[in-house]
Amino acid sequence: MTAAVKIPSSSKAARETLLSRAAKVPPAYFVFVILLVTLWLTRPQMININVMGTFIRQVAPLGILVLGQLLVMRVRSIDLSGAGVVLIINYVISSGILGDANAGLLVIVALAIGVSLGLVNGLLIGKRRASAVLVTLAVNTILVGVVQFLASGKPPGNVPDAFGDVYNVKYLSLPSPVIFWIVLTGVMAVFLSRFVFGRHVSSVGENPVAAHFSGVPVERTVIIAHTIAGLMAGIAGLVQTSSLGVGSIRFGADLPLEAVAATILGGVVFGRGDGGVWGPFFGVLSFALLFVVMTSFGVPDAGKLIARGLIIMLAATYYGLRTNS
Amino acid sequence: MIVTFRRLLTGQDSRQGLWFLPLTIGCLGFLWLLIGVDGFRNPQNLLNLITQAIPLLLVGLGQMLVILVGGLDLSVGSVVSLTTAILALDAPGYVLLPTVFLVAGLIGLINGLAITRLNVHPIIATLSMQIILRGITLILLPTAGGVIPEIVKQSVSGRLSVLWLAAAVFVGWKLIHGSRFGLHLFAIGGGVAADRQDTASKYGVADRRNVVLAYVLCSTFAAVAGVFLAGRIVSGDPNVGLLLEIDSITAVAIGGTQLTGGVGSLHGTIIGVVMMTLLANGMNLGNVSAFVQTIIKGSILLVIVALQSRKKIGL
Amino acid sequence: MEPLIRMSNISKAFDSNVALDDVSLELASGSVHALVGENGAGKSTLMKILAGVVQPDGGSIHRNGKAVHMRTPKEALEYGVSTVFQELSLLPNLSIAENMYLGKEPVTKLGRVDCATMESLTANAIAELGLDLDPTTLVSELSIAERQFVEIAHGITADADVVILDEPTAALNAADVETLNRHIRSLRDRGKAIVYISHRMEEIFEICDTVSVLKDGRNVDSCPLSEVTQQSLIAMMVGRDINDLFPNKSVGTGESVLTIKDFQVSPEAEPLELSVHKGEIVGLAGLEGQGQRELLRSLVGQHQPHAGSVTINSTSLPIPVPQTGGIRLLQSMGVGFVPEDRKDEGLFLELPIGFNTSIGLHSSKSELSWAQGHHKTVAETMSSMAVKAPSADSLVSSLSGGNQQKVLLGRYLASEVEILLIEEPTRGVDVGAKAEIYQLLRDFTDSGGAIIVLSRETIELIGLCDRLCVVHDNTIVSEMPAAEATEHKILDAALGTQTSAA
Repeated sequence: MTAAVKIPSSSKAARETLLSRAAKVPPAYFVFVILLVTLWLTRPQMININVMGTFIRQVAPLGILVLGQLLVMRVRSIDLSGAGVVLIINYVISSGILGDANAGLLVIVALAIGVSLGLVNGLLIGKRRASAVLVTLAVNTILVGVVQFLASGKPPGNVPDAFGDVYNVKYLSLPSPVIFWIVLTGVMAVFLSRFVFGRHVSSVGENPVAAHFSGVPVERTVIIAHTIAGLMAGIAGLVQTSSLGVGSIRFGADLPLEAVAATILGGVVFGRGDGGVWGPFFGVLSFALLFVVMTSFGVPDAGKLIARGLIIMLAATYYGLRTNS
Repeated sequence: MIVTFRRLLTGQDSRQGLWFLPLTIGCLGFLWLLIGVDGFRNPQNLLNLITQAIPLLLVGLGQMLVILVGGLDLSVGSVVSLTTAILALDAPGYVLLPTVFLVAGLIGLINGLAITRLNVHPIIATLSMQIILRGITLILLPTAGGVIPEIVKQSVSGRLSVLWLAAAVFVGWKLIHGSRFGLHLFAIGGGVAADRQDTASKYGVADRRNVVLAYVLCSTFAAVAGVFLAGRIVSGDPNVGLLLEIDSITAVAIGGTQLTGGVGSLHGTIIGVVMMTLLANGMNLGNVSAFVQTIIKGSILLVIVALQSRKKIGL
Repeated sequence: MEPLIRMSNISKAFDSNVALDDVSLELASGSVHALVGENGAGKSTLMKILAGVVQPDGGSIHRNGKAVHMRTPKEALEYGVSTVFQELSLLPNLSIAENMYLGKEPVTKLGRVDCATMESLTANAIAELGLDLDPTTLVSELSIAERQFVEIAHGITADADVVILDEPTAALNAADVETLNRHIRSLRDRGKAIVYISHRMEEIFEICDTVSVLKDGRNVDSCPLSEVTQQSLIAMMVGRDINDLFPNKSVGTGESVLTIKDFQVSPEAEPLELSVHKGEIVGLAGLEGQGQRELLRSLVGQHQPHAGSVTINSTSLPIPVPQTGGIRLLQSMGVGFVPEDRKDEGLFLELPIGFNTSIGLHSSKSELSWAQGHHKTVAETMSSMAVKAPSADSLVSSLSGGNQQKVLLGRYLASEVEILLIEEPTRGVDVGAKAEIYQLLRDFTDSGGAIIVLSRETIELIGLCDRLCVVHDNTIVSEMPAAEATEHKILDAALGTQTSAA
């Protein structure tokens, strides 16, 4: 009887797991290494912590936004409202709408805005079961409209100095936003791997029906994921605003798309979290490097757009074909 | 009789979805605009209304085809912009026009094949296409301008736009309600909505081929809209299609088309487009700021999406 | 004379499970051929092979003496084989006429779908079946019985020589059945070969002229129906030895832990009562689709029952149990539900064994609590269940069916529930693993647990359970101690031949 249930010989099984593990390495790592080598060969003077730090500092808001995006994509949802959230937080901080509020209060208000918008997204998507793409697109449209209306189409004003001061601090020649981003990524990694919520996320992503039958609160998991994504968008808005130093009503429209792109590049697709938290982290770094490489080769903005689109398409195809077979 | 009426009011047990209610609201809005807003009655404004509606109608018709099979095309706006950019290249119309449609067909083909053959999610496939096309458009035409072929300009001038409208409605009707293709789109979407993806193919419906065709037609419709817009604004504009993805989805959804697939109608989409156009026109006449208009459009989409309940959570 | 269709030496296995072993079947023109056998005897698989849905591993099919290959349902249709399947496959958003002619719509000269022709042809077809329905009605508006009729109409208008009817009467009432029978006779008189699969004995004797019996994927006999009686037919379908696969029965029963009273699965169903005691395994027997699945799923909110009251450990359950929170509610009361479809509803195939086992412990915890590895529990469960895998990190998708099933059961056993509701404990599991699973379930009840189990395999229920309830027509028609039960007795009750299930 035991012969009938015997598993394949262990060496074959080992080879299979090795292969399937290799296939699970997020494309972001390859892209990152290729770009780094390219840069090292062509512009060695750029490989320098000060130069790189400046470039990487610019993608810190994107990297923080990605932390939320990867969470919602792992529960088979999506959040395209990041641009609107970042924009409205920039407005609140730079317009002086809250009078002489101190920086601490502004931070709290910004985070509260992010969390509540994320909660609204989550309730509509998780409870109402509305389409995530359209809900978050609509919320984004509304937020952009609200900011433009409040600002009457003009840039609102200046950001309190405290934000810029914190933004420009460096520890061990690493800019503070980069350190903050890395720490936040680490926190998210621990949160997902060591807390029950992470298990819920994995189960809902892998098989929502089985998750339901295992007693996982599927709706609540989706709602929490969106709420955290809102919080991340709020933090991203703070960092972005600090970096700009002024109010603006036209920036970041592509942030959610870039976040989706970096997430997919980092090995996280709808329902699957093979790349973990660090895969998308390197996805964002790859985008930063790509920007550096293309700029140093004199590629115009249009070319950068095309490259970005192609990378998303190729990364998605890579995963699409894998799940197909 | 009572059953029919209830069906009209709720849109339930009907393949055409909830179109009667938006029609009623649209008519009331129209009446209100006629009576209450001064500039609206002006014949010139009414003609403007038609020319304003045509691009959205064309894009909406294409969008509807892919929504019927349970998909979504987020690249239509970029196709519109790209089309105007191509038309603004300094070349004769008989070269540019075929190029435009060839390019649009190719875009749709890539979208469709990526979705059906490479198993890429429609949102990701068309989103990345949107980004790529925006890049290509910016290379061809960094800022608005350029010269549009004479033939394009002439074909959209004045009353000729009514012909475009008639043609769009006829082709839309033929595709959606007047052909096997249309019926098969409903069948495929019905299977997708019922979570039985392969049902239509069990009956011998070539589902993958029809889905690809729907995406090709969707891009082609967007290209036609681009040609029309280029003719109207007499130049190319890399940003002209910017919000058309969302606007077209909103218009289609207002008309009762279910975003899960398999339910919808041509007249519903027309109603949706007319409502969106009336709204924009009325608000323009009432000097409502463009920003508030954006807010209102977004809110409408949000309400409609929230009203369409589904079984699945997420995308 | 050469029969119309001859299927010879057909074999088919799914994974390690043999569904058909060297089965042959001959269908003659102008005859109604009954195909009978217990659940899982291989009837449906055999017919799916004839309909081109499933490809056989071995054997051949001849039509009028010529070998044919049916690779798709469409090809089978081209060879004149049309099927009305058990599961409904109509599209709810299309009209009756559109469903009937989907994929082969008549077209006008202008390329439009010729609705007029399609609708009048459909109207005729459904009128022939004695139905008064507007062909333009959407399928979503039809009752289950009406949909079934549309499926039948779809199958028999296909102008085929062979018509397969797989449980066509499951959703029909007596008058409908009579209409259908009339139609089957007229098909027969026109020289068609009809295969009729049904669990209702009286129908088989009413309409069929030949019968083939399958058991465990093998031929038992094929003969004119006039040569058999209901009793001899049932005797052919059953009759296996209960071997030493099964553990000992329970010695005594403790206090009642789950009580169901005045329970109506559907509005028309007779109320039923059921109570389960500590240390006991109660089996729900019956033929497929008689409501046993709905009964079990009602308890965890996955089916909306009509009425009733349920008490678990003297706490009463709200009826209907909420759909979204039902599983969690029951979990908090110490009840685990093991779904039948382990691939779609049970397991996370692309996640490790450890995850699949411990999720039952994690799911009831708050999101912000520390996710313990539960390595010890997982290791203990794996060893006590004898899960054969390299390590707890192996993906579940790499395991055999039996081991997957053990992982699934292990999840619920590890999460320390007191009552288990199990659908099909050994579906797609080989014999060796079956015995191990039975022993595990018995160990669970011996240590104070209680189990309700539902299975298509009567022999499994007899061997495993202490008490059996036979479900027919959405209610319990018979209850017996498993020790006294025989396959014959159960089938008798399940067919509704003995007890009238008004």
